[in-house]
Amino acid sequence: MTKEITSKSLLQEAIGLIKNRQVKKLNAIWLEVTGCSGNIISFLNSENPGLDYILTELVNLTYNNTLMTSEGEFAFKEFLDTLNTEFILLVDGAVSTKENGFYNIIANYEGRPITALEAIKMAGEKAKYVVAVGTCASYGGVSAAKPNPSGSKSVDKVINREVIKLPGCPCHPDWVVGTLAHLVSFGKPELDNEGRPLLFYGVTIHDTCTRRGYFDKGIFAKKFGEEGCMFKLGCRGPVTKTDCPRRQWNGYVNWPIGANTNCIGCAQPRFPDGMEPFVRY
Amino acid sequence: MRKTIRIDPITRISGFLETKVEVEKNTIVNAETSGLLFRGFEKMLKSRQPLDAIYFTERICGICSAAHALASTAALENALKVEVSINDLYVRDLMHGFELMQNHLRHFYNLTIPSYVKMPDIKPLYSEQYSDYRLPEEINKKISEHYITSIQHSRLAHEGLAVLGGKAPHAHGIFVGGVTVNMDAYKLSKVRAIIYILKQFINDYMIEDVYTISKYYSDYFEKGKAYGNFMSYGLFDKYPDPEITYVKPSVLINGKKSSLDGNKITENILHTWYVNNKETEKPTEDTEDSINLSKEGAYSFIKSPHYDGYSMEVGPLARLILAGEYTRGISCMDRNIARVLETKKIIGIMENLSNRIQLVSTNQKIYDIPDQAFGVGLVDTTRGALGHWVKIENKLIKYYNIITPTVWNMSPKDGAGKSGVGEKSLIGTKINNIKEPVEVGRIIRSFDPCISCATHLVSDEHEPIDIQVLI
Repeated sequence: MTKEITSKSLLQEAIGLIKNRQVKKLNAIWLEVTGCSGNIISFLNSENPGLDYILTELVNLTYNNTLMTSEGEFAFKEFLDTLNTEFILLVDGAVSTKENGFYNIIANYEGRPITALEAIKMAGEKAKYVVAVGTCASYGGVSAAKPNPSGSKSVDKVINREVIKLPGCPCHPDWVVGTLAHLVSFGKPELDNEGRPLLFYGVTIHDTCTRRGYFDKGIFAKKFGEEGCMFKLGCRGPVTKTDCPRRQWNGYVNWPIGANTNCIGCAQPRFPDGMEPFVRY
Repeated sequence: MRKTIRIDPITRISGFLETKVEVEKNTIVNAETSGLLFRGFEKMLKSRQPLDAIYFTERICGICSAAHALASTAALENALKVEVSINDLYVRDLMHGFELMQNHLRHFYNLTIPSYVKMPDIKPLYSEQYSDYRLPEEINKKISEHYITSIQHSRLAHEGLAVLGGKAPHAHGIFVGGVTVNMDAYKLSKVRAIIYILKQFINDYMIEDVYTISKYYSDYFEKGKAYGNFMSYGLFDKYPDPEITYVKPSVLINGKKSSLDGNKITENILHTWYVNNKETEKPTEDTEDSINLSKEGAYSFIKSPHYDGYSMEVGPLARLILAGEYTRGISCMDRNIARVLETKKIIGIMENLSNRIQLVSTNQKIYDIPDQAFGVGLVDTTRGALGHWVKIENKLIKYYNIITPTVWNMSPKDGAGKSGVGEKSLIGTKINNIKEPVEVGRIIRSFDPCISCATHLVSDEHEPIDIQVLI
């Protein structure tokens, strides 16, 4: 069984359980903080289930800056109200800590600016599960790249509890949806020692790469666009654990190595500083 | 009596924007837009490998990352003196086109529509905050159904980008020298099929939906007018062929149109939290700012850019006006309509581009980085004019400057105290019901602001900083 099918069947199972009222549909907060909001955009790209299906059948997404119709204090009240319920906190972006978090203000409530740092501490304490979506939330990522001007940190560095990490820049929609489905119907998925679900992050890209045969035969590309393994161009597939080669992206049509370019290790804990240069000739 | 209204967060935009307006006799008399996110990309880029800037700067923005790849690649090609083949330009423009489609579809349906159409009872779409929903029930139902349908189409636009560029967001396929894809008949037919489906949706639903909304909210043709000075760095402008051409690099100032001169671009930091010995900076120079959150008169992380001393509006309306294809007006509703009309325009250009693409392999080479070089990449993208400036020294990035479209549209007051474009568009606007100031968000969203993009700058040499002024 491929992982894609596993992820999809998980979701079907979760929805089935919700429909049969064996499991309560959980509330969820998706907080965009110091990052590019690319993980929520990637989430919108989810296919079968699409966004409408996820929102109507899988979770009650009570707060998200990109999607919600309400604005201002009215919107932030939704955030506060959710804290008194059973909910999943999803964080998209790193947590800016400079100036007590004042480099990232996410709302103004009753005349007081609310920093992302404060919001994550507030919600992180009360959430049933905390999920770091993307590399910034998981490890600091590009937001924390040298010299880290905003003092950005990963979510688990600012709250004292377990954080499920879904790295990737962006996070593949299946990795989030599959994890949500697992949380809703089966509880916490099996995680590796870094907090990543084994279901999606079990093996390196190199292990299942579509160009692995070239590596084994010692055929190497000298520039982008050539046939051959791109190891000598600085491909980070050997140190990056995701299922990109088998899962593929955006309707499962392609992936970076399929576009004749290196894996740049975007789901790796040391991305980007430890993964550069992205290409070397 | 003067009343202050503060809206934070302005949701359904990318990033964090606070808008504060002062209202007197139901009319906005003063407005301040504040970018409330600081990341520091230009500081991070120093001393990195020049070619890494392409994938690195994509991470500025999750919704328009290919645009940053395009601007960064253009700046590097300028610095490295690399020429791109016409076929690669076609493929690259097609990738950019898919990103524009993804953006415009998402902005119109997911970000704009919920301000005008009562959403179904799905969290977080349903809201009881405002009551000013004017569409008859049947029409309201129809357009809210199109919201749901559009999710598949914006997703499909990203699929088109991924076919050519590996994945989206943060595609890999745009690179120095052109593109990395080896074009074949299957890929070409795949992207053509996607273009076909998108075109149908745009023609059959999107155009009608924006005109329907404009009919029921016709007062928005009078709200949200800014200075009327427009700028574009050029979009689909590299070809002599009119069927694949849209708008040339140009400006319209005080009603007079002229071609663009990139040397006339400056940025002012007076009303920002940035500190520098110079108040006005040039993007061609190394501008190392520090941050002071207690700086007097400062209220934003977004700088105030000028072209020849003028605040310029950028985006779809600017482009259509500069291309001579739109004359109705410069209001909030004109911006919404222009975005949709442009979506139709660009899908047509994409179709024509796809018909010209040859099945040839990529022209990628081994690129040597010069010891010293300077490059400029000026491109127009979803939200307007995007500029990347790169200085290379000792084969590494010495400094890197970026001015994004939202910096142009959502800047604070300039050195002379003149309002930014977004602020100007709010001032003078009548608030119909002071208890429900729905106008502010509608007008701001008509610019499609992206704060992740706009507030990416600078360093912080001087700390600690007193933050009491904010609390």
